[in-house]
Amino acid sequence: MNERRLQIILLVAGTVLVFAFSLAPFFYMALVSFSADHEFLAHGVEFEPTADHYEAVLTGSSLHFLDYLRNSLIVSALSAAGAVMFSALAAFAITRLALPGKLGILFFVLIVSMFPQIGIVGYLFKLMSSLGWINTYMALVLPYIAWTLPLSLWVLVGYFSQIPRELDIAATVDGCNRWQILWRIIIPVAAPGMFSVFLLAFIFAFNEFMFALMLTTDASARTVPVGIALFQGLHGQTPWGDIMAASVITTLPVIVLALIFQRRIISGLTQGAVKG
Amino acid sequence: MIFQRRRTSAAFGLCAAIVLISMLASLFVIGQGCGNRGPRSLVLAVGGAPSELDAWESLIEQFTSETGIAVTLLRQPTDTDLRRQGLVTALDSRQSDPDVFLMDVAWLGQFAASNWLEPLDPYVEQEVIETEQLFRQVVDASDRYQGRLVALPVYVDGGLLYYRKDLLAQYGYDAPPATWPELVEMAQKVQQGERQENRSFDGFLWQGAQYEGLVCNWMEVAGSAGGGFVIGDSTIKLNTPANNEATTFMHDMIHRYEISPRNTFTEMKEEEVRLAFQRGNALFQRNWPYAWPLHQADDSPVRGKVGIAPLPSFADGQSVSCLGGWHVGMSRFSDMKDEAAQLIAFIVSYETQKLLAMELGWNPARTDVYSDEEVVAAAPHLAELREVFEHLTPRPNLPYYTLISQVLQRELNSVLSGRQSSQDALLSAETQAQKIMEQYGTP
Amino acid sequence: MARPDESHSAPPRLRRWRDWTEIRTATLFVLPVVAVIAAFVLVPVIGTLVNSFYRDVTILPRRFIGFDHYRDLWASQSFRQSLWFTTMFIVASVPLELALGMIFALLLDVRTVVRGLMRACVLVPWAVPAAVSARVWQLIYAYNHGAANWLLSNLGISGQVNWLGSDVGAFAAVVLADVWKTTPFVAIILLANLQAVPRELYYQARVDRANFIQTFFHVTLPLVKPGIIAALLFRTIDALRIFDLVYVLTGGGPGGSTNSVSLYAYSYYLNGSFGYGSAASVVLFLMALVLSILYVKLGRFRAEGA
Repeated sequence: MNERRLQIILLVAGTVLVFAFSLAPFFYMALVSFSADHEFLAHGVEFEPTADHYEAVLTGSSLHFLDYLRNSLIVSALSAAGAVMFSALAAFAITRLALPGKLGILFFVLIVSMFPQIGIVGYLFKLMSSLGWINTYMALVLPYIAWTLPLSLWVLVGYFSQIPRELDIAATVDGCNRWQILWRIIIPVAAPGMFSVFLLAFIFAFNEFMFALMLTTDASARTVPVGIALFQGLHGQTPWGDIMAASVITTLPVIVLALIFQRRIISGLTQGAVKG
Repeated sequence: MIFQRRRTSAAFGLCAAIVLISMLASLFVIGQGCGNRGPRSLVLAVGGAPSELDAWESLIEQFTSETGIAVTLLRQPTDTDLRRQGLVTALDSRQSDPDVFLMDVAWLGQFAASNWLEPLDPYVEQEVIETEQLFRQVVDASDRYQGRLVALPVYVDGGLLYYRKDLLAQYGYDAPPATWPELVEMAQKVQQGERQENRSFDGFLWQGAQYEGLVCNWMEVAGSAGGGFVIGDSTIKLNTPANNEATTFMHDMIHRYEISPRNTFTEMKEEEVRLAFQRGNALFQRNWPYAWPLHQADDSPVRGKVGIAPLPSFADGQSVSCLGGWHVGMSRFSDMKDEAAQLIAFIVSYETQKLLAMELGWNPARTDVYSDEEVVAAAPHLAELREVFEHLTPRPNLPYYTLISQVLQRELNSVLSGRQSSQDALLSAETQAQKIMEQYGTP
Repeated sequence: MARPDESHSAPPRLRRWRDWTEIRTATLFVLPVVAVIAAFVLVPVIGTLVNSFYRDVTILPRRFIGFDHYRDLWASQSFRQSLWFTTMFIVASVPLELALGMIFALLLDVRTVVRGLMRACVLVPWAVPAAVSARVWQLIYAYNHGAANWLLSNLGISGQVNWLGSDVGAFAAVVLADVWKTTPFVAIILLANLQAVPRELYYQARVDRANFIQTFFHVTLPLVKPGIIAALLFRTIDALRIFDLVYVLTGGGPGGSTNSVSLYAYSYYLNGSFGYGSAASVVLFLMALVLSILYVKLGRFRAEGA
């Protein structure tokens, strides 16, 4: 019985620790974002609540935060949509059709996903400048699609192969061709899985830093992570309050997404990671 | 089964909606991406704070109304490295825009050697651009590359010592320090006294973080000991006794005399220094002239208590101030060179320089603006600064300067953090710099 | 988790007749994926490799120089420092993340009222951009007013710690921030494995009067081993290319002590020195390639063994 009690104590303590560990930095982030002076923990500085930082970030055009946010949303949505589309086609071929070397393709794609971005970004920079695409959405969307494809493909192959084969045999008997099988049978059944993939690809693109840092030059295409990393104030100081306000605004949708789609994200992640 | 169908089709609908929205967004993007500037419009790339961008906006409006030449402002970020990257990107891919842009003095070597800058001599000869009144020293040290004039200064900057007049008087000093040992002595005494009340008080703040500003600070201390970069035709020397003395001294200010805080080498850039000083948390600071009007602003706690002086030197040396500031140049790939020259002429004209000085507190690149009555009335400190600006020490005008600077920043910063002795660091920096010179100094 | 190669099972009679058109269609379906990856990953990788043999700077004409860049890399103390930092970072952060991730996964596996909420909360550090959370950590570690020093002084431990100003402090700061961000990922992978452990085994263990530590080591751990291997390799490769966190948090400082290989290469790209930056990237690329081949090999090994 003693052990049982110990277990319960450990469980409660552990749970509290997990919450504290995960959320404490966000708590601090929120505190700073509402404080007139970011040094409120320093000796002799008072905590003075204010919403000025939010006002600055949301209305001040000079910080360009809303531009960054718009860019991020558009770029991530496009990339995720592209990744889902392309990987759905390929996953269908891999799970449903005769294709020589399909395992090879899967492992090749897996290895590609492990390349370090730095080995790509230098040349990509040259490629994009010769195409005149630097500082446009295209410069980010296409590499992001390539970058998220491996994960999307692996997850979708996992989902597609779980769909009973009887369904497509029945459809073939009904006279459906392969496109129709993909559109009418596979995609509707795998829709939740595809939504997981969309979410994951979206998060990946939303979080990407290095490409965005090198391939964009200003607020017309720069994304939120780079924007927040490079936020500067009027004379080059670090406007901590504004940065934290922007961080809170960026984090809120992430928290909402995590709360609503917790199951979808986790199922996508485990499909992608446990394979192989 | 039916319920399940419903659910999956609902989820499918959601997915389809998202994909559809993305598609629409992409159309919107493509429509927007091919943004159209007017068919014949100059593009001027400037960056910086919003107030600076606003000033530029009204300047180009005026230019357009005077000349009828349309100008589009390309707004660059505040961060110096990123501004350079943005320009390098455009120029390296030979884009015709921007036509005219501002450059930090430290990049001029690279830009000129990359053959990106249109020589301005013909326009000076045709008297489109007037250069008579510009600081001659600055133009000669930075804007000429292989004899050709490739850029012009827009404003000049130099490192200064700011001090608290009230505190010096209170502790019995009647003048700011002329030598570094004096500075240490004053800083220690005042710091000890002030810390009774204010734990965050420091004697001397300067820029020690790992970035270009550290090189400027180092050049000033090293130069005042008779050191600095020693550059020959194919050699570069950094490991000299004077440099060693200066670098050790910078380390000692943090670790031995403890007049500079420990975050000097991790956090201190211009604004961190300026803000701490403005809060009243320091006796001395090394900073650029931009800090002056800010310290004198109405809401500044140190308003009226601040003095400026040349930076101290070592006993047998001379005060040295590092040349900073921004320069304007024309892209070699510009498709509107004559109009671009007119814009450059406008930027270095008396009226524009005066306006920039009045509105932004920028130190004019023209000597004649310093005696303008209105300017003197608005910014009395400018008169003093002019003296300093006549004797500024430029950073080496080498095409690969930024590579050498990067090495030096890292090595100096490691001395300040106590990871390396100054001798080892200077030797290591010298070896690396020498290698860079060998690699990039020959065609 | 069906293997893809067993998927095709058309009736044998039709097979020969259908094969050709089917392969053609299948190729068409796979083509976009292959094309995008080729254009935006493979071509750049090859381009980087080629570029690393050239002196490629903006200020001078491009010139072939063979292995000069690699020789210089090897001779460069700061490059070796960046290799060292990257290696030590992997060695310090990955085991910590695995250990902590295991504990998280065990907690997340227990049926409590807050389980769903806890799972969502754990996802948040993982889902927030690293650059954003690095900014928060930067403020936490700040010398004068940071939460870390405030906490220390309130706990009665005197003296301000200059977290980002010493080798050890900066290293620990980077590791801690990374552990915070990626432990959730590890926990979720392990959780999936944990949930696959048959409950009877736990029941059996209890019948055998094993305490929960024994149960963990003898029942749980062997069964989640595949998950541990997967997490280990994913994390190793991810840690190898660490960039955003050090870029924002330390900028590679103090004095280059937390300069990762990615950051090192980036700083040369930024200065327009593409050849040298490429060479440094190729070194990192080769390291990642070796690790990922190892991963695929281990993965196959498991597939056969399972």
